[in-house]
Amino acid sequence: MVIADPPLMDSSAPELAGTPPPPAPAERSVVAQIEHLDFFYGTTQALKDVTLDLESRKVTAFIGPSGCGKSTLLRCLNRMNDLIEGARVAGGTVRIHGTNIYDRTVDVIEVRKRVGMVFQKSNPFPKSIYENITYGLRLHGRRDKSRLDAIVEQALRGAALWDEVKDRLHQSGLGLSGGQQQRLCIARAIAVEPEIILMDEPCSALDPVATAKIEELIQELRARFTIVIVTHNMQQAARVSDRTAFFYLGSLVEYADTRDIFTNPAKPQTEAYVSGRFG
Amino acid sequence: MIPPTVAAPPRFTVSRRRLRLLGLTADDGIRWFFGGNALIAVIVLTLITLFLFREGAGFFGQNRSNLEIYRRAGLEYVDFIRAQTDDHTALTRYLSDLRVRWMTWLLEQERHSLEEANARLEDFDRFADRFAGAVDPLRELMSGLADHASGIKAKYQLTQDRRVEQAQLAAAGRTAEAAGIEISAIDFERELEPLRESLPTYRQLSRDLAGELTALLAEAPAPPTPALRQRMDRFAELTREYVAGFPAVEHRLETWDSAQPVPAHRAFTSFLFGRQWLTASSWQDWYGIVPLFVGSLLVAALALLLAVPLGVGAAIYVSQLASSREQRLIKPCIEFISAIPSVVLGFFGIVILGETLRQLSQVSWLSWLPGFPYSERLNILTAGSLLALVAVPTIFTLAEDALNNVPRGFKEASLALGASQLQTVLKIIVPASLSGIVSAVLLGFGRVIGETMIVLLCAGNRIEIPDFTRGVAVVTEPVHTMTGIIAQEMGEVVRDSIHYRALFMVGLVLFLLALVINYAAQKIMRRYRLSTG
Amino acid sequence: MKPEPSTFHSRPDGRRRIERATTWIFRAATYLVLLAGGAVLLTIAVKGSRTLFQSEAPFINWSFLTEAPESLYIFEWEGRTLEMGDREFRAFKERNPAAANVEAESYVYSAGGIFPAIAGTLLLVLGSMTIALAVGVSAAVYLNEYARDGRGIRFIRLAILNLAGVPSIVFGLFGFGLFVIFLGWNVSLLAGWFTLAFMVLPVVITASEEALKAVPLGFREGSLALGATKWQTIRRNVLPYALPGILTSSVLGIARVAGETAPIMFTAAYVVRDQLPWQVERLGDFFFQGVMALPYHIYVVSSKIPQNAHTERVQYGTALVFLLLVATIAGTSILLRQHLRKRHSW
Repeated sequence: MVIADPPLMDSSAPELAGTPPPPAPAERSVVAQIEHLDFFYGTTQALKDVTLDLESRKVTAFIGPSGCGKSTLLRCLNRMNDLIEGARVAGGTVRIHGTNIYDRTVDVIEVRKRVGMVFQKSNPFPKSIYENITYGLRLHGRRDKSRLDAIVEQALRGAALWDEVKDRLHQSGLGLSGGQQQRLCIARAIAVEPEIILMDEPCSALDPVATAKIEELIQELRARFTIVIVTHNMQQAARVSDRTAFFYLGSLVEYADTRDIFTNPAKPQTEAYVSGRFG
Repeated sequence: MIPPTVAAPPRFTVSRRRLRLLGLTADDGIRWFFGGNALIAVIVLTLITLFLFREGAGFFGQNRSNLEIYRRAGLEYVDFIRAQTDDHTALTRYLSDLRVRWMTWLLEQERHSLEEANARLEDFDRFADRFAGAVDPLRELMSGLADHASGIKAKYQLTQDRRVEQAQLAAAGRTAEAAGIEISAIDFERELEPLRESLPTYRQLSRDLAGELTALLAEAPAPPTPALRQRMDRFAELTREYVAGFPAVEHRLETWDSAQPVPAHRAFTSFLFGRQWLTASSWQDWYGIVPLFVGSLLVAALALLLAVPLGVGAAIYVSQLASSREQRLIKPCIEFISAIPSVVLGFFGIVILGETLRQLSQVSWLSWLPGFPYSERLNILTAGSLLALVAVPTIFTLAEDALNNVPRGFKEASLALGASQLQTVLKIIVPASLSGIVSAVLLGFGRVIGETMIVLLCAGNRIEIPDFTRGVAVVTEPVHTMTGIIAQEMGEVVRDSIHYRALFMVGLVLFLLALVINYAAQKIMRRYRLSTG
Repeated sequence: MKPEPSTFHSRPDGRRRIERATTWIFRAATYLVLLAGGAVLLTIAVKGSRTLFQSEAPFINWSFLTEAPESLYIFEWEGRTLEMGDREFRAFKERNPAAANVEAESYVYSAGGIFPAIAGTLLLVLGSMTIALAVGVSAAVYLNEYARDGRGIRFIRLAILNLAGVPSIVFGLFGFGLFVIFLGWNVSLLAGWFTLAFMVLPVVITASEEALKAVPLGFREGSLALGATKWQTIRRNVLPYALPGILTSSVLGIARVAGETAPIMFTAAYVVRDQLPWQVERLGDFFFQGVMALPYHIYVVSSKIPQNAHTERVQYGTALVFLLLVATIAGTSILLRQHLRKRHSW
């Protein structure tokens, strides 16, 4: 079987406070819409006419072989691609709550405040744990000490890290283990209360135990955030996500409920990939 | 079910207004500020070029009038005759050199006492005296004409000074005073008449001289040994050549025209190819860069000759052959050497090295070395040796980089084929990094040619093209350099004078030379990156 | 009995000997360089320490470090040879009227100390490095953080590379032409600062860029993804971590600024100056005064006065103090770097 542990999704979800069971298709609420997106690195086209909606408070997984454009699409959602030389959106739109984030009037800084990101390689800043969490808040002018303390605790609890680090908040974030570092990065991201959290292969550098913890955490975060996760690990996609998009050579091949993708894919390429015949 | 919870999604305010000034946000401003700083490198380079040109460009105009007055005041005319008498002096010197050799032979081979030897040379001395004295009438004529020409030049300069004064007064609004200054135009043609009138006298004297020399040659004493005889024959030959040149001098004097304008390019060529750098002279100033250029080049060449084997050898040793402990020890040491200020090295050269080398040259069993023994303690050798110490760290660091950049695979493949460590280094690694090493050497060259304090203190500062006929021994001669002349004379020149501008021109030549060297080094380096990348 | 040759028998002796000899040649070249450098340093250290140190307490000859240069007078008096500095000699003549017309040999700058030169050099280094670091780090930030590769940037990089190869005397000429004459600053601290700053600019820019490159990309991405602006990211999350590297590599620049003579010869240095740099009437004058500088003083005492037992003292002493100063500057910077490293490591 490809689906390792389908009950996990269903069984864990209802436990989260106030989270409704998976809604019926008609009730889906869309946070972001990607429409006909074409994206280039210099002269190479990385994304071809991708159209896809992200649903609120769901975990969406992007899967596909290396170089298929899944990470590129992820980075289009908070315009991190702006940093790469020669990268440009050639056509199409990315709308978040109806606003095209590539519009000229849009301030990229505001976009990134609302769309947080966790990177493949955990990148805590060489500052204390406390400073790591408050970094984003201080940037945006929050100085109130007691409020910051509260947010730090909240964020660390949210990232299931509080109990492990509460006694050493003022020690360097680099002293943590790999898995803890990655959760610190997640805590750092949720501290600024984004709406969407992008995760770019967040577990690829972690051992299985740390991976399991992160996956568990993603399940919990689902109640409060819209999560998009890029992963190489199909079992992981099956375990954590509600919706899965399969990319191949820059095109979106199939986008459907995770269960359907893994048990009943519509496209032969998807089936070939999820059953491990290529990729 | 969902809609109630997300019914009113927070407004996605992604277009927050930022404070703008002149249409720029604060971030744009910061970006421009940084960009402006990056541009400073370009600006400085441009300014350097600009100011060297600004201060130096006037040189050519001034040099042209310098050359013009040289001609119009008749100095050029006198110098034709002076060249003739100078050639005569050179021949006389040849004779006295011959006498020294003859004397040595008499004293050492024949074991004569000094008086005896002098007696034996009486004939020769009489001959030499007559030879030397033959030119006296001509020289007398020349010096009389020279005084006259100098007088014309001085007069001209006086009027020039008055003109400047007048212009200054006029500019200051003191017109009455300005008008009061008397400026008499100089009638060069009339002033030059004595020079022209001397031509028949010159002809006579020159012909007399030719006759006397030819006659003298016939009665030249014959030296006793073949070697000396050969020198005597050579002397006779040179004298005949010298005499044969007289009609040409005469022709030059006859056809000389003081009114003929100096072509514009002469101002340029007399700088670039001029073999004399002579300033503050009572006769005529010359600004020819050749002796300085040659000096710089010689010192740099010697420095590289010493530094390249040492620097590259040390780089090969440290990067490929030495143990890691040795590496950790040697690298900082060599870097520390590069931190020794050049003025300290120059000081060391003056107080220790110059004297040590000179004493070394006096050691008898080293006298087989070319140029040994010598007496000038500050010379190319002293300066070059110290400059080598400046060049070594530069060459070492860059060459070591190049050697370390050779992909490990090359080395491993070679070792796996059974090549020894040294074979691998010499046959694989060094060739693979050759262009890096070459560019290291080039940059080392740029470093030494631009070095000032060492050459200023240790090169001897004699402005003359060294005597290349001495072969390798030329390194024991003192020279002056382009960098040294700027450092030495810049502090003393009058602003905006031709001398001042000439120094800026030397600076410009140095600057362009440095750019060319740098460019070549980069070109070579880039090619090397392609070849191993 | 000959032992059975093994399969891995050694190579022929001759070739091995050649190989060993060649290695020794390379080794000899290396140690010859070290020896030459060591000889220079040692000579100056040994001879200079006679000036700088003394056998009785406080062991350091403070007067050499704290006094201004004076002329040295040597004369015969009551059968003894006396050596006196300028002031002492005058006082002596007042005390002994008979000595008024005593014949004395005199050597300029050979008595007293070199304090004004030390102060001048420190001021020159401080000012020019401030300028060079401000401009150089900013330029490096632009090149490494903001700029995208293009013709303009390539041109800037080419200019920086070429600037690095310009001889120091040409910088001196340039500074003279631009600051001293065109801007009318005369021979002044300010002219020297800018001339030296422009000279080390390429070193500082290159060093800063290396240091900025060493800061992991993740620091920038992480910060930007949290909604920081570019400048916030650079200021809080890049520059602090690049600083140790920038400072370390700037040591190279500092050593060069302190050690160069040619650029300050006609822009900032005086052969001798009685006032100390801070003895000015108005604050503005501070920037427009020429100063004495150690490297220039060495040049002066080694080329303008004769070498003999009487002048040796000041010559070697100045050279040693200068070397020590350069070494101290480098040392301080290295310590500073280690301190900063301890605070930030990743």
